[in-house]
Parts: sequence; C-alpha cells; structure tokens
Amino acid sequence: MTLNDLAPLIPLMVIAVSSVIIMLGIAFYRSRAFSGLLTLAGIAVAFITLFGVQGTRQVTSLLILDDYALFYIGLILAASFVVALLSSDYLEGRRENIEEFYILLLLSTLGSSVLAASTHFVSFFIGLEILSVSLYALIAYTRNELNIEAGVKYLVLAAASSAFLLFGIALLYGETGTMEFSRMSSGISAQGINKGMLLTGFALVLTGVGFKLAVAPFHMWTPDVYEGAPAPVTAFVATVSKGGVFALLLRYFIQVDMHAYPSLFGAVAFIAVASMFAGNLLALLQKNIKRILAYSSIAHLGYLLVAFLAGGVMRVTAVTFYLVAYFITTLGAFGVVTMLSGKERDADAVEDYQGLFRHRPWLALIFSAMLFSLAGIPLTAGFIGKFYIVAAGAGSALWLLVIMLVINSAIGLYYYLRIIVVLYAQPGHSEVSAVSSLPLTGSLVLVLLTVLLLWLGVYPEPLIEMIHRMTMRF
Amino acid sequence: MPTAFLPEEYLPIVIFMVIILAFGLGTLAVGIVLRLRRPYQEKLLPYESGNPPVGEPRYRFSVRFYIVAMLFVIFDVEAVFLYPWAIVFDQIGLYAFVEMMLFIAILVVGYVYAWKKEAFRWD
Repeated sequence: MTLNDLAPLIPLMVIAVSSVIIMLGIAFYRSRAFSGLLTLAGIAVAFITLFGVQGTRQVTSLLILDDYALFYIGLILAASFVVALLSSDYLEGRRENIEEFYILLLLSTLGSSVLAASTHFVSFFIGLEILSVSLYALIAYTRNELNIEAGVKYLVLAAASSAFLLFGIALLYGETGTMEFSRMSSGISAQGINKGMLLTGFALVLTGVGFKLAVAPFHMWTPDVYEGAPAPVTAFVATVSKGGVFALLLRYFIQVDMHAYPSLFGAVAFIAVASMFAGNLLALLQKNIKRILAYSSIAHLGYLLVAFLAGGVMRVTAVTFYLVAYFITTLGAFGVVTMLSGKERDADAVEDYQGLFRHRPWLALIFSAMLFSLAGIPLTAGFIGKFYIVAAGAGSALWLLVIMLVINSAIGLYYYLRIIVVLYAQPGHSEVSAVSSLPLTGSLVLVLLTVLLLWLGVYPEPLIEMIHRMTMRF
Repeated sequence: MPTAFLPEEYLPIVIFMVIILAFGLGTLAVGIVLRLRRPYQEKLLPYESGNPPVGEPRYRFSVRFYIVAMLFVIFDVEAVFLYPWAIVFDQIGLYAFVEMMLFIAILVVGYVYAWKKEAFRWD
C-alpha cells in the first residue's frame, strides 16, 4: 500500500474523520447544531469526493473502488443524509445527549460503505462489524422499554449470525486457501477439493448474510426490531444496512459463480420464495405500521433475490434499480412515520393514520405515493423496479420464481391498499394525528423523495443509463 | 516420536518451592499450636485504624462494567496492535510509524472523550 492508494479511499476517510471530530467536539463542548451540521457536511463532502475517484482502483486486496462500489457508496451516503435530516427533529426532547447519535450514524454508514467496496472476507467482516456494533446502540438509543428490548434482540442475534459467518469463512478459507473473492473461484476449481466442506461453508456464510438481510427463514427478529427502534433508525436498518450487505452479496456471487452449484442456487431460490410468502402473508395479520413495513421489507428482499438468481448483466441492472427504488420508498414511508410520531410513542398503529387526509392532505398523498410504490403500481419507481426484476427473471427462464413473484405482488397489494383506505377514511380519535406542526426539514426531505419517486417512475432512463455504464465495466 | 522433556535443571527450583511451602505452613501451624486464645468482641472486629467499623463490609456498589469494558478495549486493543508493530518496526519504517500514530491519535480521542464524560471518577 502506498500513499497513491489512499486517494480513492478519501470518501471513506472523510466519514471516519468526521465521526472522530464530532467525538472530540462533544468532549469539550456539546452542541446539537455542531454535531448535526458536521455530520451532514461530512456525508456531503464524502459524496462529492466520490466523483474524484477515477476508474477502477484496487486498494490492497481488501477494497476495490470501481463504478459499482462508488454507485452503492453514493446510494448509502444519500440514504444516511436523509436519515440524519429526519432524526435531528425526531430526537429533540426524546432524551438528553443526542449528539452521540451522529457518531454512531456516521460509523454505521462507514461500515456499510466498506461492505459495498470489499473484495476480501476480512474487509467484509470488519465492515459488517462496524455496521452492526453501531446499530446495537442506535436501535436502543432513545432508551424506552421497546428500544432496549429491540436493541438487545438485535445484539444477541447479530452476534450469533456473525458466529455462523465466521465459521463459514473459516471453512471456505480452509478449502480454497484464499479469502479474496476473485481468487476463490480458481481455488474452488482446483483438484482435490472437498465439495461437502465447500458447500457447508457457503451455507454458513449465506446464513450469516441472510440474517443481516432479514430473509426467511432468518427473518424472525425483523418485526420486533423495526417496531422497537426509533423510526429514523428503522429507516436506516431497512435501507443502509441491507443495501451494503446486498451489494456485497451480489459482488461475491458474481465473482464466485453461483450457477456452478445447483444446490446453492436451489437454497437461494428457496430463500427467495420463502421470504416472499412469509413477508406478504404475515403482513396481512399486522395492525402496526412499522411491523407491516418490516414484513413488507422481508418480501421485497425476496423479490430482489429473484433478480439476483437471474444470470447475465441484466441482474445487476435489475437489482440496482430495485434497490434504489426500495431505498427511496422505504425512507419516504418511515419518514412519514417519523414526522407524525409524538414524544410519547411512535405513530405506528394503523388507527393513528385514520383520516390523515383530512388533517394533512399533503402528508397523506406522500404516504400514498410511497405505499403505491411498495405495491408496484405504475407511475412510481417501485413499478419500474419490479418490471426489471420480472424481465431479468423471465430472461433467465426462472418461470416458477417469476410466477411466485406475481402471486405475491397481488397478495401485497391488499395490505398496502388497506392502509391507503384508512388514510382517506373519516377521522378517528387519535392523539397522534394532532401533532402540532411538522418540522420544515423533514417536510422538504419527504417532498424531495416523492419527486424522485415519481421521476424514476415516469422517466427512469437517466438512472438506467447510469447503471448500464456501471455494469459495462464490471 | 517426540522426545520426552525432562527438566532436570529445574529440580533445585522444585526443592526450593517445597521448602518455601513447608516453611510458610509450618510457621502458621506452630503459631496455632502455641498461641493463647482469648477472644472478646472488640478483638474480633475488623481493624479499621482504630475507628469502630461502620456498616456491613459486604455492601453492594456499582462497578460500572460497561465503562470498564470500554476502557479495557481502548487500552487492550492498542497493546495488541502495538506488539507486532514494534517487532517488525525496523522493516517497515516511517510509513508504519505514521499509521500507528494515526491509530493512537484516534484512541486518544476516545480516551479524552471518556475522561470528559468522567469515566475515571470512581465514587
């Protein structure tokens, strides 16, 4: 590693340095404005420096800064920026000493970005741990009973899944003799390899990653953690944490050709179908918005895995576009929940939304747009995303998976529309809908997200062009 | 077949340890056998520099595990990295020096933060 190698790492270093500066700042002078603004500035500067990285840069064997990594880091940074904006007003008055929230937010953003850029099991694991350890604290941050329960659940299960992952990595390393993704495939095709050991390794790694992505049958923690975490943190868990891990999974299984292992392919296909059904069917039974969105995210990850299983260049396009749409929609939906939440509890009961259209027509319209996008109704980004996934699946003749996806989209429609019906019903008696005034930054963020959502739904060409350029050089 | 390890040179040390043990226990035994035993209440109280003792000796106090644990991580991880670094330092030179200084600087920031949060105030 030379000084020249440090240049492409500047975006990651900016994030790391701003978290250290905030920590030093807190030690001497606590200021909400200082921490918040420095966080936003750090993320913005990191985002701008992404454009300064030219071409594909492999930094040691651990990290690679190619167009793919830069795109995903950009997406992660943008999502963190939105979460930081949403949480500034949300945290106010919920507990004292809210400055440390931003340190944790920056660190977990850093962890997720490292995941998007890693080409080695070591950087994979370090990124995952930076991400998870900060998330434990973020989830329990406002310290009410639900928070702490969710934080402890996440801590225990994340630690267990890390153990699975590590054991899987150890087995793969033992068989192939390398931890680099690119050299692993040649290690696999070498003579005298123990297939059983290799598949066990893959299965264990898949279990660890599956937990992080909250796909069935590793999804049990999701509704509890989503419900218990503060609303902006829930948005963060649903987007940034999953986005980084999915970017890594895609890179890993492109470099180690998954289609060479029918059993592995079958396992991922099973996970995809199970996630779609578990997510959509269990969401039907819920009365809590955060839990519904949690189950819906399980189902969405299932859809993503369908595109993931498709071969060729198409799958990177489909997965990436869908993830962008999913990021925008999820941030928007949890943004609405954040904005409406009172100090006593989050606005997460379906009744809280009854007749929202009468009190706050704009917010109701924004929420409807987000729900339509989750359901995949045309004119929203979610529709284009789903279209690409179906196209990718059909292109690889994965007919069974595509049919499952279509059935599940129909089931999903029901519970999204149920919320929308509540939004436009006669107003009920809920204290949550009587929140005095909405914070300005949050409103602007929501408007921006909605504009993006509709723009991608109507005119997706620029983004698709961008993703195509990125996949060309993969 | 690994050769058996016979530490013959260590025999004097073993004898030495046996003598120490015997001397220690023997002195205590002699004391128990020979000394007078006339206990009364003041004699049985714990000795606190002449003051009458206050309260129970086994009261509960917060050990603040998490702060101790965090400080442990700061110093322990630092030591773990410093040892291998120190051993190969002459081969990797200035670059490693700068890197280690950066690493320590970040740890110092954590240390300053803990200090300002009064993590070392033990009461």
